[in-house]
Order: sequence, then C-alpha cells, then structure tokens
Amino acid sequence: MIEIKNVKKSFSKLEVLKDVSVRVEDGQVVVILGSSGSGKTTLLRCINFLENADSGEMTLGDIHLNLKKATKREILQIRRKTAFVFQNYNLFANKTAIENVMEGLVTARKLPKEQAREKAREALDWVGLSDKYDQYPSQLSGGQQQRVGIARAFVLHPEVILFDEPTSALDPELVGETLELIKRVAQKGITMIVVTHEMSFAQDVADKVVFMDEGLVVEEGTPKQIFSEPKEERTRQFLSRIISLDANYSI
Amino acid sequence: MDFNLENFKESLLSGIEYLPNTLKLVFVPLLIGLFLGTVVALVRVYRVPIIDKLLAVFVTVYQGVPIVVALMIYNLIFMLKFNDIAKALHIPKTVTNVDNIWVGIFALTLTAVCSISEVIRGALLSIDKGQDEAGYSVGLTKVQTIRRIILPQMVPVAIPMLINNVVGLIKASSVVMAIGIIEIVAGSIIPSSRTYSFFEGYVAAAVIYWVFTIIIEYLADVLRKHTGRFRRNLYD
Repeated sequence: MIEIKNVKKSFSKLEVLKDVSVRVEDGQVVVILGSSGSGKTTLLRCINFLENADSGEMTLGDIHLNLKKATKREILQIRRKTAFVFQNYNLFANKTAIENVMEGLVTARKLPKEQAREKAREALDWVGLSDKYDQYPSQLSGGQQQRVGIARAFVLHPEVILFDEPTSALDPELVGETLELIKRVAQKGITMIVVTHEMSFAQDVADKVVFMDEGLVVEEGTPKQIFSEPKEERTRQFLSRIISLDANYSI
Repeated sequence: MDFNLENFKESLLSGIEYLPNTLKLVFVPLLIGLFLGTVVALVRVYRVPIIDKLLAVFVTVYQGVPIVVALMIYNLIFMLKFNDIAKALHIPKTVTNVDNIWVGIFALTLTAVCSISEVIRGALLSIDKGQDEAGYSVGLTKVQTIRRIILPQMVPVAIPMLINNVVGLIKASSVVMAIGIIEIVAGSIIPSSRTYSFFEGYVAAAVIYWVFTIIIEYLADVLRKHTGRFRRNLYD
C-alpha cells in the first residue's frame, strides 16, 4: 500500500500542489489524469524525491515518513522500493541495454553480476528485446528505449512503479505497443501509478482514476465513474474537450 | 641568415636532454589538475553549499592573473621565506639545496586546476539532469550516480577541450625560464650562447614542442574515441 497525504509543493511563487492526498492499494493501477500544469508529474516526482515537497506525509509498506524532513537514508530506502519510468526514457547513455537493466541490481542491490545479468536477460526478453542486449541507447529507437526503461524498472520488482507520461514522446505508431507492454506489467500484479493522456488506456487498465486540476485532486473513482458519470463540472469539461478533440481528428 | 645544421642538431640534442624537466612541468600539473579540477567542478555543479561559492571566486580571480606574474610572486616568496618556513616546520633544508622547479610546478599546477575545472564543469553541465534522476530512481546514491553514470559520460565531452588545455600547458611550461629553470627552450639555447646560433636554437626548441604536441593530440584522439564508444556522432 502506498499513501501520500497533504502534499504541498511550490516552485518559487507558483503553487503546483496545493494539498494532494492519494491512496493506492497493493496491486492497484492508478491513472492520474489532468491537463498540463495540473501538477500530476510533480506529484509523481515528489513520491520518488526527484522533487522535495514542501510538506506532506508518505506511507509505503511499513515505512512512514515526512516528505519534507526525510533523511538521506529514508530517501534511499524509498527509492529502492520504487521505480520510475520517464517520459523521455532517460536510459544511461554510457551503458548498453542490458547494463541499463543490470545497474540497479548490481550497484544498488549488490546482486552478483552473473545473477543480475541473468535477470536482466529475462526482463529484456520479456519486453521483446532479446536481440538488443548490447546496443547502446543511441542505437535504439524511441519505442525500444522506452521498453528498456520499463524493463529497468520492472527487473527491480519494486513495490510500486511510477510512470510519468511513458508514451508522450513516442511516435503515434509506437504508442500502442508500449501501452500494451505497460498493461502486461499491470497484469503481473505490480502496483502502479501512471500519469498519462491516453484515455483508452485509463479506461482499460486502471482500477482507479484520479483527476487533478490546478494542484488539487478534483475527483477520483473507478474509470466507469469518471468517464461515464463525472460528478464535477471541471472533470466534465476536461473530458468533453478531450473527446471532441478525438472526434475532430478522426475524419 | 645562414642556417647551420650542425648547430641546429646540437641544440636539438641539448633541448631533448631537458625534456624530462618539461615532462615534469606538464604532467605533474596535469594529473593534479585533472583530479582537483574534477573535484572543484563537481563541487560547483552539484552546489555544495558555501564551498562552491568560495571556489567560484577563487577560480575567477586566479584566472585573471598571468602565469608569469604568479610565478614571480611564488618565486620571491620561495626565495625569501623558504628558510623560515622550513625552520618552523623542522625541515632540515635551506633554499640553496631545494630545486626551484617545484616553484614552477606549483604555479603551473594552480593554473591547471583552475582551467581544467572550467573544462570539466562545462562538460558536466552538458549532461542532461535526467541521467542523474534515472540513477537515483534505480536506487543509486549520489556518489554512485556520479561515478558510474555522470563521469563516464563527461570524459568524451571534455577531452577535446582538455587537449587544448594540455597543449596550452606544454607551451606555458616554457615560462619557468623566467625563474631560471632549464627546460626545452633554455636547454636548446645552451649551445647557442657558445656558438651564437640562437636562430637554430629556437627553431630546435620549436621542433621539439611541435613533435611533443602532435603526439599528445594523437593520443588524446584515440582516448576520446575509446571513451565515447556509446555516442553516435556522424562526424567521428
């Protein structure tokens, strides 16, 4: 179970998160929706301490801590129980695909190299890159890089994987297969928090949808509740705009 | 003007004889500069509180002083104060039995630390913040991320600018003549003061520097290609 409570975060004068609380049960897939600037990425980054929240609390399994006052050790502890999939992949540029996947196992978890290599091979096979072990990120396409990114997160068997718009930087053609892969991760029963703009993915895969706007959680519920019977005006506006956008372009 | 090949050869050999001094004046500052320069750059890029500001001021101020001026100042301090300092530290040596090449090495080292730190800082800044974040996200500590992810990516970026620095250092090493240290230039014109063939002497020194520099540039390029295997660059 992962729970964050009353998270606040400002960048100089701009209040990005005003008071956000989210609870995710084990094995749940939570999709966070919202327009740009609503604070969803910042929320995700606060969970992994890539941003330091101004206040708030977090519970992850048996760890309970204050987001503002967390010590270096606590931060490391949290980071070793979570994994992050980035919008622009952020693969280690100086390491091959398999080394990227091994890095967390070998350096952070102190697994023997051979064992780590075996696990990394399995993970890369699982994401369909069995012929790309020794390629550097610069030799891989965007879709392949993101699959390595997912393998790198997945191989750690973290308590939760955080996805930050994992398909936003991809070619439209590659979005489908990457979402398909993320769905397979979800089917493995791993807890996930996904920030995305892919509505159909949210409808298909999410156990819970959280809609954020201007640094606040406006509404949350099952995909059915959010998409078919949204209670809040702001949610309705957002959804109708997205859906009409879809209609405009599908000539 | 006649060019006397015999005198030229004599100067060449005499210059080469003092090559070890130039090597000391180049490689001691280079190695210390690479190490401390990297430390200074990391402190500044990763913003270690207070120390980063102090180092920024030091680097800026120090780079504003010509090497030869700094060298003269250190040499005066060395000549006038060495005996007192040695006595205070209970070192049984006096200024007459210490080689003042160490003053030259000291001056060149400080210059090298400053300029190399700027090169490495530039290279570090060119690496995307996402690389650090990816390191943290798989559970690496800051030090592990720097050592395993950031520094290996910094090296191939820094090498072209570093070559420039090393070449500059090789040439700058000749300023130590000013305090009477004999290196390639001073060595090459030793025979000239007997034969009055200064032209041949300086040309000989130029040739030695030229060959030395070319070898360094070649080695650096091999190193750059080797450390940058992971990069895809159409111009390589």
